[in-house]
Amino acid sequence: MATQQGEGGVPFSVAHDLRQFRLLELPAELLELLDSPTPPPLSIKSQAPPASSGTFNAKPAYAVLCTPSRTYQLRQVQTSNSVFITQATLEAHEDEIPVPTTCAIASCGATLELHPADTPALRYLEDVLPIYDIVDGEVDASGNGKSMADVFKDIPLSEGQCKQGWEEVFAFEFAGSSWMPSANTLLQVWTAVNDAAASESVPLHKQFLTDDIINALDDRGYPESLIQAILTRLGYDDQKDAGWSCLDRSRTMMFVGETLLEAKLASEDYLIAEFLGVWKDSVPELWREDVDLHTLEGRYNVPSDKTIRSSKRGAKTAPAASKASAGSSSRKWHEKFGRARKK
Amino acid sequence: MPQIPLHLPTPPSQPPENPLPQLLRTPSGLAIIELQGTINTPPPSSSSSSSTTPVGKLVFPTYKPDVYGEDDTKWMKRVYFYVGENQRMTGEVKKLGKPFAVIRRRERGDADVVMEGVDVEGEGEGLVGEELEIAEIVRWKIVFAMRPEPVTGDA
Repeated sequence: MATQQGEGGVPFSVAHDLRQFRLLELPAELLELLDSPTPPPLSIKSQAPPASSGTFNAKPAYAVLCTPSRTYQLRQVQTSNSVFITQATLEAHEDEIPVPTTCAIASCGATLELHPADTPALRYLEDVLPIYDIVDGEVDASGNGKSMADVFKDIPLSEGQCKQGWEEVFAFEFAGSSWMPSANTLLQVWTAVNDAAASESVPLHKQFLTDDIINALDDRGYPESLIQAILTRLGYDDQKDAGWSCLDRSRTMMFVGETLLEAKLASEDYLIAEFLGVWKDSVPELWREDVDLHTLEGRYNVPSDKTIRSSKRGAKTAPAASKASAGSSSRKWHEKFGRARKK
Repeated sequence: MPQIPLHLPTPPSQPPENPLPQLLRTPSGLAIIELQGTINTPPPSSSSSSSTTPVGKLVFPTYKPDVYGEDDTKWMKRVYFYVGENQRMTGEVKKLGKPFAVIRRRERGDADVVMEGVDVEGEGEGLVGEELEIAEIVRWKIVFAMRPEPVTGDA
């Protein structure tokens, strides 16, 4: 074989029927995943229908590559040189003895680059989820008839990112549709949860049976899945199963303060003193002393010495009142609003 | 928005004998060659039973692992690609800054090969959509960036 490589050379041939392959440039972090002993499943989400045989050859209008938790947008880049993909084969020509040959089996005029897609899932969710807004005990909105899985299917992001966004907006499945609660509704349900916990002596700050709270609110008519969504979102990350919950103190404090402000988006601003009082009364007894405006840094404005309002107010992208709380990990989102306003 | 699985490489049980230097060999035997211009091949003659056209050969003039050892990298600086009898391109072996995943459509035929002990024939038939797979991850390429130069008969 050494003779072949050195002097005789490696025979090179070109297949008559070149096949359709694609070259996908692998960023370091993706390569690392693929090289790991347990590579994750990958998939491509695209807007083209799967049945059409043109999907792969045609330039994808919009396609993303997903790992379980990350998303990369695919971009096609033309190459100036001819790029051949070759295959090692055994070939014989004109009755010669077959020899190991390098055969070009595909030619690529373009390669695919991957770019991390960082649009937060909640941006997409806000567009597709109807708002669940309880007014006088009634919800005046028609559902979208979609399950959580249906909704995720149409979002060009990985399962993990969709799920994270879903939790951030307290989304829930109910009556055959997927919903996102309004700030008013979140506040109503939270107040009911907090009151029930107080009267039934359920320790929200320690481990408690999720069903204790759900059963206590049985007669209130709130979707169980919404109560569950709130308890999950406010709970510790490692305590999300097996029927138990335990609320995270700082997450809960922030959620209550922020939701109070957002529920007021459509009406008059709070007086600061009044707001602090309501906030204090809306959290579990043990946590009353935690009430502090620093917790809500960046999420509020003080239009005057005495008043306070949600920083979402005045932001064009957030129509008043109907927008639900985006939760604590949407900090960047708020910063974006903030920057937009300063311009 | 349809979701298409992108399967990971499954090395063939019998890797083909690969005539390229060790560095350029991959489990599947796939490699990447880049060149300026195109290779024109005559239309396959109808009498030929072959599905390929021989166009020339690749020569690695200083690749001598038995002399310089497998760790030697100097050979990478020079690769010749003889096209036909009278043309030669000079190139080199380069490491790809970002390795390429070679992606191909997973053929339906492949699905019948019981990879994970799952028989997709029958009930699954209509449900199995188009699937893609990473055939190989390629980290090196041979690049011929220069124009071909004429050479005389025997190289």
